Amino acid sequence: MVLSSGVNSGDGRERTTGAVSRRGLLTAGAGAAAGAWLLTACGSGGNADKAAATAAATGKAAAGGTLRIARPPASSAETLDPASSLSAYEYLGALYSRLVRRGSDGKPAADLAMSWEMSDEAKTWTFTLRDGVTFHNGQAFTSADAAYTLTHILDPATKSPQAGVLSTFVAASGISTPDKNTLVVKLKAAHAEFPTLLMHYNCYVIAKDSAKTTATKGIGTGPFKLASFTPAGPGKVVANTDYYGGKPVLDAIAFSSIAETQSRINALLSQQVDLISQTNLDSAGVKTVQASSTATVVEVKNAQWYTLPMLCTAAPFTDSKVRQAFKLAYDPAQVIKLAVQGHGTIAHDNPVPPDDPYRLDYTVSPDPEKAKALLKKAGHDKLTLPLYTSDYDSVLTPLALAMKDSVAHAGITLNIQNAPSDSYYTKIWMQKPLMTSYWYVGRPIDQLLSEIFHSGSAYNESKWSNPTFDGLIASARKETDDAKRKQLYQDAQKLMVDQDGTIMPFFASRMIGISKKVVNYHESGFEFDYLKIGLSA
Amino acid sequence: MSRYIARRLLLALVTIWLASLGVFLAVQALPGDVTTQILGQNATRANVAALRAELGLDESPWRRYLDWMSGMLHGDFGSSLVNHASVGAEVGLRLRNTMLLAGVTVVLGVSLALVLGVVAGLYRDRWPDLAISSLSLVGMSMPEFVIATVLVLLFSINIPLFPAVVTAGPDARLGDLLPAIWLPSIALTVVMAAYIIRMLRTSVIDVMASEFVTTARLKGISPARVVLRHALPSALLPTLNVIAMNIAWLVGGVVVVESVFNYPGVGLLTIDAVHNRDLPVIQTIAVLGAATYVLCNLAADLAAMALNPRLRTNRRTA
Repeated sequence: MVLSSGVNSGDGRERTTGAVSRRGLLTAGAGAAAGAWLLTACGSGGNADKAAATAAATGKAAAGGTLRIARPPASSAETLDPASSLSAYEYLGALYSRLVRRGSDGKPAADLAMSWEMSDEAKTWTFTLRDGVTFHNGQAFTSADAAYTLTHILDPATKSPQAGVLSTFVAASGISTPDKNTLVVKLKAAHAEFPTLLMHYNCYVIAKDSAKTTATKGIGTGPFKLASFTPAGPGKVVANTDYYGGKPVLDAIAFSSIAETQSRINALLSQQVDLISQTNLDSAGVKTVQASSTATVVEVKNAQWYTLPMLCTAAPFTDSKVRQAFKLAYDPAQVIKLAVQGHGTIAHDNPVPPDDPYRLDYTVSPDPEKAKALLKKAGHDKLTLPLYTSDYDSVLTPLALAMKDSVAHAGITLNIQNAPSDSYYTKIWMQKPLMTSYWYVGRPIDQLLSEIFHSGSAYNESKWSNPTFDGLIASARKETDDAKRKQLYQDAQKLMVDQDGTIMPFFASRMIGISKKVVNYHESGFEFDYLKIGLSA
Repeated sequence: MSRYIARRLLLALVTIWLASLGVFLAVQALPGDVTTQILGQNATRANVAALRAELGLDESPWRRYLDWMSGMLHGDFGSSLVNHASVGAEVGLRLRNTMLLAGVTVVLGVSLALVLGVVAGLYRDRWPDLAISSLSLVGMSMPEFVIATVLVLLFSINIPLFPAVVTAGPDARLGDLLPAIWLPSIALTVVMAAYIIRMLRTSVIDVMASEFVTTARLKGISPARVVLRHALPSALLPTLNVIAMNIAWLVGGVVVVESVFNYPGVGLLTIDAVHNRDLPVIQTIAVLGAATYVLCNLAADLAAMALNPRLRTNRRTA
């Protein structure tokens, strides 16, 4: 339950107020599981072993209709300000547009910016903006709004999670607007992939001087307009017929907030909602939903990646031989089967997603004997360690158990310690030598490597520090030749697989509960294909 | 009599104060505070420190407790650390919803329990008693979330009669909440009524065997009058405290049932506030909970006095 992000929107995790930690608070944790069992047992057991569906229905949607979405009540302080760490993700994609969105190939694609070019060796970026776009209140969109959006994110008072990433490259003084359709950003340091940083969901464009009001009014340029919004409560958006990309099929999307995972599933099964958002169904939940005649499960492939960070500043992981031994000791094929019933892709200790064009195809086969030898060289005949895990996410504990099993052949004994989920990321993460963790897929490669693996970065969960790696990232950013830049990012990946402090067994699917009436559902982050998604006639 | 009530009220205030202190200390002991819960993992040290100062969390815990206490004595419950809204208004709205649920449950549960308890006691060891007693044992031994889940399965999913969850927020109109209160209310009724039935049955059996009931019967009073006029008031006496405790439990103990049905009452707010370490909200709910228990107990004792002339005269002569 618990930092900010979407399946593909690429920031940390769900907020701490999400479903899992709440469940942990109640003794009803057991209750939810028992409930799922009851529902499964009483439903048609025959369907239980059927593999999860992988795609939502496609076809012709009936014109109009209201899609009802259940979401966890993130926080009573949540806001529609996209830059905030407390933004209500599910609304953002409907209400706002970005300068640059993520294309289907993972590369930046045009949205409010029609085109962009770099000059001055990747130090100056010029964006040409779309003409004739209006905000929901009728005001015309101009470069002044785009410039304001960036300075709002950079403003320390906003406390935006994306500020840390952007401020390395952009200062408010470097942003200029020569005319109403042109935005020029002069960077502090060269970045050949600068537009990828603007794909982040914190970078949705708001109108000039609207920082204060946008929190409740949600005035953007997106396919839907705000009708109502209550923090941690119900809300509604209605189709924006003036949207520059076309008219949505749906008339409206209604949101409601439901705290418990099991209650969200019940709402889906009783047809009170059509889709449950921010809820990765565990295997009991998948079976429960699949047993229903009105709802189904959609598998979003490779949506999150699971890690076991080995703290490089703590014994025994200060020794790189021990880290290497752990990576060789486990069998990823066995771990993925046990932890997520095979619903995922083996990561081979490389966090760059399988569909990312920059991913390096490089694998090291498991070798428990070599692992044993390395441990011996490091002075450990037998190694016994605590492995911390929690109910924060439904896969963490199965992952811990699978790892314990898998590394036993190499003479490593892991004692599993279950920690409370609501303080897991404040008390255990980056403090205990070995733990289970996860991230949502979606960071562009430069942000992924620099935010989670660069020396000293705030999210560097294994505290790995390698000057060669840092140097490769720095050179890649300056490199304006695409092929050479790709090579540098791939060299960095090889270094990570061989030496870094993070065991990465797999990318896992996200299991989404959805009504059979929903057609053309495609989710990326918390964004749908807003124009096409609809309800069958 | 009035001195007795005054003394009880004073004791009640002390109890409530102790409860608020205990909850305060317990929340202090939880790992993390509201700033880490709000900013989450994105938090930088600088942001956490800034937010702590903004919320006044850098002051000593005792100072904050005293501030809150003095505010409360002036009728100001403070504002939420998370969304800065007035705690009084927020809790008040949730309390209205919980009271609606509790009210329906009390009416349903107590009347059902009174009828079934008396019937079971009168037909001791015969089939009505066996049926009622075994059903109430089942009700007692099933946790409320199991009952709630079974009800949802049967009456929302298999036969869609009632909504499985409440999708409206805490400021929903009563008309919107009404269709949704039946399943949670039935789940709570099952648990609550079971205890009262067991207690009342025993008590009715005892009273029916007592001499004054035999005397009343020998005088030729009709059986219905014997039960209603003579036996029931005496049989109710020991049951009153059980009823009072169950009503108090309803206001505090609906947490699990509210969360199953996503019912926007005090229970859901409690979970949220504890999760966020939102002290002013937790403290207010704790005081409210303690006050409910104390007042229900007091009401039970006073009702016992009204039902039992001996207690009244004893007090007067003492």
